[in-house]
Amino acid sequence: MSDIGNIFVLVKQVPDQSAKAGINPDGTIDRSKAKRMINPFDRFALQAALETKKKYGGRITVISMGPPAAEEILLESLEHGVDQCKLLSDRRLAASDTLATSYAIWKTVEYLKPFDLIFCGLQTTDGDTAQVGPSLAERLDIPQVTYCEDFRIENKKVIARRVIEGGYQWVSSSLPCLITVANSYHHLEYKNIRGAKLVQELLRNKDKKDELIKTINLDQVNADPILCGLKGSPTIVAKTDKVAEIGGSCFLQQGESVDSMVQEVVSKTNILEFTR
Amino acid sequence: MNTNKAQEKQPMKEIITPSNKEVVVIAEQVNGEIQTVTVELLGAGRRLADKLGGKLSCFLIGSEFSNQPQELIARGADVVYVADNPALKDYRVLPYKKVIVDWINNFCPPPHIMLMGSTTTGRDLAPRIASYFQTGLTADCTELDIGPYEHTNKMDPDKIGLYPGCLYAIRPSFGESLKARILGPWKNPQMATARPGVMIPLDIDSSRKGEIINVPVNLTENELKVDILEIVREINETVKLADANVIVSGGFGLGNAEGFELMNELANCFEGSALGASRKVVDLGWISYQHQVGQTGKTVRPKIYIACGISGAIQHRVGMDKSSLIIAINKDPDAPIFKFAHHGIVGDVYHIVPEMIKQLKVHTKSTTNIKESSNTEKEYASV
Ligand SMILES: Cc1cc2nc3c(=O)[nH]c(=O)nc-3n(C[C@H](O)[C@H](O)[C@H](O)COP(=O)(O)OP(=O)(O)OC[C@H]3O[C@@H](n4cnc5c(N)ncnc54)[C@H](O)[C@@H]3O)c2cc1C
Ligand SMILES: Nc1ncnc2c1ncn2[C@@H]1O[C@H](COP(=O)(O)O)[C@@H](O)[C@H]1O
Repeated sequence: MSDIGNIFVLVKQVPDQSAKAGINPDGTIDRSKAKRMINPFDRFALQAALETKKKYGGRITVISMGPPAAEEILLESLEHGVDQCKLLSDRRLAASDTLATSYAIWKTVEYLKPFDLIFCGLQTTDGDTAQVGPSLAERLDIPQVTYCEDFRIENKKVIARRVIEGGYQWVSSSLPCLITVANSYHHLEYKNIRGAKLVQELLRNKDKKDELIKTINLDQVNADPILCGLKGSPTIVAKTDKVAEIGGSCFLQQGESVDSMVQEVVSKTNILEFTR
Repeated sequence: MNTNKAQEKQPMKEIITPSNKEVVVIAEQVNGEIQTVTVELLGAGRRLADKLGGKLSCFLIGSEFSNQPQELIARGADVVYVADNPALKDYRVLPYKKVIVDWINNFCPPPHIMLMGSTTTGRDLAPRIASYFQTGLTADCTELDIGPYEHTNKMDPDKIGLYPGCLYAIRPSFGESLKARILGPWKNPQMATARPGVMIPLDIDSSRKGEIINVPVNLTENELKVDILEIVREINETVKLADANVIVSGGFGLGNAEGFELMNELANCFEGSALGASRKVVDLGWISYQHQVGQTGKTVRPKIYIACGISGAIQHRVGMDKSSLIIAINKDPDAPIFKFAHHGIVGDVYHIVPEMIKQLKVHTKSTTNIKESSNTEKEYASV
């Protein structure tokens, strides 16, 4: 009866940007010191999934790969109204780059199949690559629409608007399809009362919580540990450097009259060469 | 047909010395017009290829090409591979991916390095190709280099060894003032996308010689699952942000969306100007995303960048700090932007900018006069 069956959303827990995260000697981010939150870009993906369900039906499963603490963001997703969550958590996933991440998530998706739509954020604020979505679509051998800022479902197809340089395009794709949602999409709605009540209940009832937030490991999804984590990652961070501060070279005008400050800039720079 | 990569691959093999030193740049074209980012990548690719002692090639996909391959040679390519087919006219990820992977599968061994722009096209396509070949890909690089790498990490014994001639993919790292050098010498092609507006192109040299090779195109139903229904490019964008001489950029300090009217007025004082913005005001909907400068927006390198009410957060800075002259207007003398601007004015944008417009307009008239008189002189001279 509904147009859409399973909807998967990929949500990652990232360090809060406003709190300073430490850097490990190997150049990766030390997650233990930082406050954590839902990757801001994934909030748009969550909103896209919630709107899809509202309009076309379906059941939303959030998939996240990360340490057990990532449960926090899954509870938050439930408050926003998703149906269930799967947390892929395994020590052997440590130090995964985007290829190893997309491998592990691919195996999880294969395990949870079938689905009609997968929503991803455009990118994460810690990895910041925008690669996991397309890399996963390639492994699943399905079409993708990246930088999506609007879409509708029609005749078992998704009609989507995607950002391109200098404008946008409308495309039509068959289902199943993977969509990465641009940050020009609608902001995530407030938590709903039903979701909030549900989470209150889960905090009291561990069995029910374990049912709605199911933690799974690599063996359960039948993933080869050699292709995960450090071993499965073809890239490494070999070195990190501090970006040199330019500093000190700025001619700072302050406390003088407005016209004399502007006069200084006009006379001391080549700005006039560019006037009409 | 080789769409059956969804099987598990063997862990990567060791390749100590590169046996195919080719560097490949995947070109971007819009309606047949080669995009600036491609020309920049050829500049960067040329330096990498020379350092490696290999050749630089460029892969051009589209339809009805004429002199574009020659243009790519004049910009540094030794070889241009051309895939020309009506189905490839506009960029679509699946057919473009198929053409590239089919062709790379002909290489034995594969090319050493493959580069794309980190545009909405490159960031769509590159991860699919990297995933297909199970190879490393570094996103959004701001520097590229070649150098040796010795892997000693005992946790990962299979990779231990000395690797000369690795791609150093260098990019800013999250929210910190750090640069990370990322390598993946174990598997070729070593891939990276590079931020537009950062790499330096070579001058056009039409005397350069190169080879043009046509590539066969074999598409199947599988690649035609996505159709383009409509393409809209902003026509009111008189000057593209990437090509503007002067960028007037507004931030949260403007206080409201109407502040961009004042920005526009200032921009109109200049020839070849464009409006920029910080992400914060784009998120607030004061101006469209196309104007966003920074890590998740555009990287720009104009002659003059005027930052009005912008604090200068690292994510904004990485998109504009290569500008030749940065003028910052901010009412907070401790704003981080003053650490890297060339000229700073401490004050309210609504006091400073109107005064600036006034002073510029005084000069505008006189320069127009000079231009007119010099035109007349030229006319006389040519008579
Ligand atoms: C992953 C990630 C990616 C990001 N990508 C980008 C990006 O691409 N581009 C980007 O810009 N940001 C980006 N950001 C956001 C960035 O961190 C900052 O939040 C943002 O740049 C701040 O915008 P702003 O300078 O306009 O606002 P604010 O930081 O709020 O600064 C406003 C400034 O205006 C000054 N001011 C206030 N009133 C006046 C006045 N009347 N006259 C003069 N000055 C005044 C204030 O002193 C202040 O310095 C990103 C963040 C993250 C985490
Ligand atoms: N560990 C993870 N768990 C769940 N989703 C992820 C994870 N890493 C990346 N993603 C998804 O992939 C998108 C792009 O991430 P990235 O390639 O790291 O920039 C994110 O917005 C998420 O939707």
